[in-house]
Amino acid sequence: MPELLAVNKNLFVEDAWQLDVFKGTGGYERARRALTEMSPEDLIAMMEASGLKGRGGAFFPTGMKWKFVRADPNTPRYVIANGDESEPGTFCNRFNMELDPHLFIEGMIIAAYAVDSHFGYIYIRGEYGRAIERVEQALADCYADGILGDDVLGSGYKLDLRLRRGAGAYICGEETALFNSLEGKRGNPRFKPPFPTNSGVWRKPTVINNIETFACVPLIVENGAEWFQELGEGDENAGTKIYCLSGVINNPGVYELPMGVTARELIYEYGGGLPEGRTLKGFKPGGASAAILTSEQLDVRLDPSIAQYDTIMGTGGVIVMDETVCMVDAAYRDALFFEEESCGFCIPCREGTPNLVQILERLMHGQGVMADLQLMEEIGDSMASSFCGLGQFAYRPVVGAAQKYRDEFVAHVEGSCPAGSCAIANN
Amino acid sequence: MTQATGPVEQTQADQSTVLESLRTRLADLKDEPGSLLEALYIAQEMLGYVAPESIEIISEELGYPEAHVFGVVTFYTLFYTEPQPKHIVRVCRDLSCHIAGATKIAARARQEIGAHPGHASADGLLKLELVSCLGQCEKQPALMVNLDVHGPVTEEEVTDLIRSLREEDQ
Ligand SMILES: Cc1cc2nc3c(=O)[nH]c(=O)nc-3n(C[C@H](O)[C@H](O)[C@H](O)COP(=O)(O)O)c2cc1C
Ligand code: SF4
Ligand code: FES
Repeated sequence: MPELLAVNKNLFVEDAWQLDVFKGTGGYERARRALTEMSPEDLIAMMEASGLKGRGGAFFPTGMKWKFVRADPNTPRYVIANGDESEPGTFCNRFNMELDPHLFIEGMIIAAYAVDSHFGYIYIRGEYGRAIERVEQALADCYADGILGDDVLGSGYKLDLRLRRGAGAYICGEETALFNSLEGKRGNPRFKPPFPTNSGVWRKPTVINNIETFACVPLIVENGAEWFQELGEGDENAGTKIYCLSGVINNPGVYELPMGVTARELIYEYGGGLPEGRTLKGFKPGGASAAILTSEQLDVRLDPSIAQYDTIMGTGGVIVMDETVCMVDAAYRDALFFEEESCGFCIPCREGTPNLVQILERLMHGQGVMADLQLMEEIGDSMASSFCGLGQFAYRPVVGAAQKYRDEFVAHVEGSCPAGSCAIANN
Repeated sequence: MTQATGPVEQTQADQSTVLESLRTRLADLKDEPGSLLEALYIAQEMLGYVAPESIEIISEELGYPEAHVFGVVTFYTLFYTEPQPKHIVRVCRDLSCHIAGATKIAARARQEIGAHPGHASADGLLKLELVSCLGQCEKQPALMVNLDVHGPVTEEEVTDLIRSLREEDQ
């Protein structure tokens, strides 16, 4: 199977981030066609028929989301691109924002028209200096060229888009926390329901989609719903997914492949496998939030159906680990991340994340006891009642690793690290 | 856009001038609902951190209670309420980078800087921060000096990098 290039096609076109080059690839023609020749209803139906599902991790059908927003009589409505991308192991949105920023902007224009929105935000994590520069330039070029503003592409439609930066907070990728951040508040999540489709930023109906989701939109308009539908592997999967590959792997990077490719294909055919002499021990299929899978599970499809293996597809950030990686240490890295990024708003997550960190530290220093393994599960049970997705997922990779690699955790209780790489081993 | 970090050299004497010009620059944001984070970026760019006086001015100009502004500043890790060294070396400590040797990278950075993470070096020029994933995982192990990305980096490169940052300021 060759690498499929749809959303990432322009990554190989020199200077595609420049407006004239982008236009040369057919850029903004799709939006022009959508705004002048198609009705919003047709566009929404097209998105539904394409099978496009959100690439931000929840895989909610995009067409349905837009339909809900359009159906809400409340105005004004907003459109937001989520470029917060902070899940460890995930970096594909960055490539799209840096190298091909106009593609997702074109998708946003089509989305805005489909839901009758005249104002939108692009929210980018503050650490992405280059992406911020490129998107800022892209927006300025769009205004200068009549692609944004009072008469979008000569259609008479009005649309303004603003760029806003985050400032170092993973939780602001969660949609309701992102709204709070845009409103000039701390990035704590809000209770759902009401959902963003009815009560998003400024409590108005809001389309919020991932950068990659928006980038698929012009391609669907250009090539049709059926074309997109058929790009995926298997009945449930439409389109491509941009997988990110890192960890113990020969060729770390981004790979656009049919949604639903197997982990084995991604790691061995595209990522070049592990370096000489290293053997696969396990891999995370979707960033820190995803529980680890073992080397026996290489044939799972990297799509939402992966949930049947008690993990998640998440953002498609695949992290590969070999025999030298200590699973207690790996779990500790995840726990540390969630402890740092917990927003502190609710107790199960605020208290649970540091508790997990402490237990894993004990284990790595040869001070753990068998009861600690049980205790981690109990902490996990209480964290399941956390207020938002961060806390509801944070414990799963830790508890999952302790179940799958139980012998290795028990060895730490007994004072040794089989992988020979964590603190016990280095003492 | 303003720079996210990268403190400016500042003498006591011109702080008040800076604060007045902050007031002027905030004028543009008054009609832009929810632009508090942008205001904080501007404040931080001008003084290198978000000073209590800046919070006061932002609060007055944009109409937020001071406590709200302070609460927001302290929520986000890229904003600082204390003066910062010129160079903040942010070493990613998350899984992909960790597997690729981030612990050694951080140890080397700490040795070269000569201060614990979160503390300024004796010459006041540098600081090490151990941070969450920078979204640069294919460059494992990755680090940023202010917002400039480096990676994959070796221990030797960390030494060279930090020495050259120091030399720049000789
Ligand atoms: C803790 C947390 C962090 C998230 N971070 C991101 C993110 O960085 N980018 C993103 O697009 N979605 C993120 N999401 C998902 C968003 O809440 C939301 O579902 C998504 O932006 C919707 O877009 P989509 O339908 O195109 O996927 C996060 C969710 C949670 C719970
Ligand atoms: S689960 Fe964690 S991140 Fe989510 S609201 Fe609670 S404390 Fe905040
Ligand atoms: S894990 Fe280090 S940059 Fe992502």
